[in-house]
Amino acid sequence: MTDTIAPQATGIGLRTPHYAALLEARPALGFLEVHSENYFSPGGPALAWLERFAASWALSFHGVGMALGSADPLDERHLAKLDALVRRFEPALVSEHLCWGMAGGRHANDLLPLAYSEEALALVAARIDAVQERLGRRILVENVSSYLAMEGAAMSEWEFVAEVSRRSGCGVLLDVNNVWVSSRNHGFDPVRFIDGLDPESVGEIHLAGHEREGELLIDTHSRRVCDEVWSLYEYAIARLGARPTLVEWDADIPALGVLLDEAREAARRAAHALQAQVTA
Amino acid sequence: MSALALAQARFIATLYSEDACEPGTAIYRRNLFANLGGALAATYPVVERLVGESFFREAARQYVLAHPSASGDLADYGAGFARFLEGYPHAAALAYLPDVARLEWACHECYGAADALALDFGSLAHVGASDQPRIRFELHPAVRLVRSEHPVAAIWHANQPGADGAPQRIEGTDHVIVHRQGGAVTVEAVAHAAWRVTEALANGDALGVAGATADESFGGHLAWLASRGLITGFSLGREAP
Repeated sequence: MTDTIAPQATGIGLRTPHYAALLEARPALGFLEVHSENYFSPGGPALAWLERFAASWALSFHGVGMALGSADPLDERHLAKLDALVRRFEPALVSEHLCWGMAGGRHANDLLPLAYSEEALALVAARIDAVQERLGRRILVENVSSYLAMEGAAMSEWEFVAEVSRRSGCGVLLDVNNVWVSSRNHGFDPVRFIDGLDPESVGEIHLAGHEREGELLIDTHSRRVCDEVWSLYEYAIARLGARPTLVEWDADIPALGVLLDEAREAARRAAHALQAQVTA
Repeated sequence: MSALALAQARFIATLYSEDACEPGTAIYRRNLFANLGGALAATYPVVERLVGESFFREAARQYVLAHPSASGDLADYGAGFARFLEGYPHAAALAYLPDVARLEWACHECYGAADALALDFGSLAHVGASDQPRIRFELHPAVRLVRSEHPVAAIWHANQPGADGAPQRIEGTDHVIVHRQGGAVTVEAVAHAAWRVTEALANGDALGVAGATADESFGGHLAWLASRGLITGFSLGREAP
């Protein structure tokens, strides 16, 4: 098992349609990222596949269902399944989303935006603390795309993200596409978001494609990374330094080669950003 | 209730409704129905093929409104779909549909159930002849049993990808054992007697009890289960009553 991910590593999100092609082609990727919940079952073929990938690539487990910022208590069953999975595979990275997702026991099974309030901040920092305590390790939390602003904001999203990290000791998974999507939807400067983070706190970067629908950008993970997001990524790398970078694709999933292309492009862009900094 | 809890409760209630809402909220509502409907379609592909995509989408929408998701893991969603279809008026003419859904949920559970190695029957050698009626065989955790007044196994097989949709049997009762072979979910219709033996083992009956109600091919049924690696252990129960 490969246990570490180099700062300059690039990876792709592991999706079922690519299982066979990946094992056949064995491309040189820095890591593979999986949705943790896809491997929550106690046994069966999904875990058998994951064992095979774990033998050849470093893994990152990315949760989509913990709903950290929900006022409802943390779901103990969910946490126990994540804990069992993490202890079995000991992945290089474990991450969740900075969002909420359920109320009164009803789940949206989605990444719902938090109110950037003091109350939400205290709640989510305590929850991250509880998860880190349970797993016995630090996690990263990802900024989400959002299509509305929950009432009660007392600070900007980036101030919220930075403060969550400072209070809980968690790292930040900076999703550059989400920064871009939310900056267009809410009218803020995406550079201020990136400048607002403590560079030391950022442990991973995500890239993906989005789509426009009327006035809103929607985080669909259904196409290539757009030029604006590539530029913002280069800005982020120049400011933060090299960081493990992942390309995600979840809808209209193309052939594996297209994802590998995007991962190579990420490596090229990152190298370019770092080179430009050296010569500046 | 805190301001945060109240706002979140209101928002979830809006998502799980058909009330007018803001464009941003509408995106989240669309995601909700797409994600939960997608989870149902992934678990119930045969039901979807039998009723068609638009019928299924509407049934799924009604199900989502009536049965909110209770887990952050989408694989947990849809356990009650068979019962919902029983009471769904538009499906009333399709009497077999709820049992097809039951079979598909059994397949869904089978897929992710725990792994277990087949029993090494050599380990039975030290059980004395007088203790044999107390043997309780353990079934593989992925085994699921389905019984229907309809030929659900035949319907299921006829509606797998690449199959022509015409079941080999169109009436009759099916006794189905769902199990996993080499990582693949396998659906087998078996004789009633074989099914009852498997059910007895699943209930934890000792051989003395399970065998007492079985026909003369009891040993053959056990051998059938063993040949598929579905007997994974044993223990000695109390004295047979």
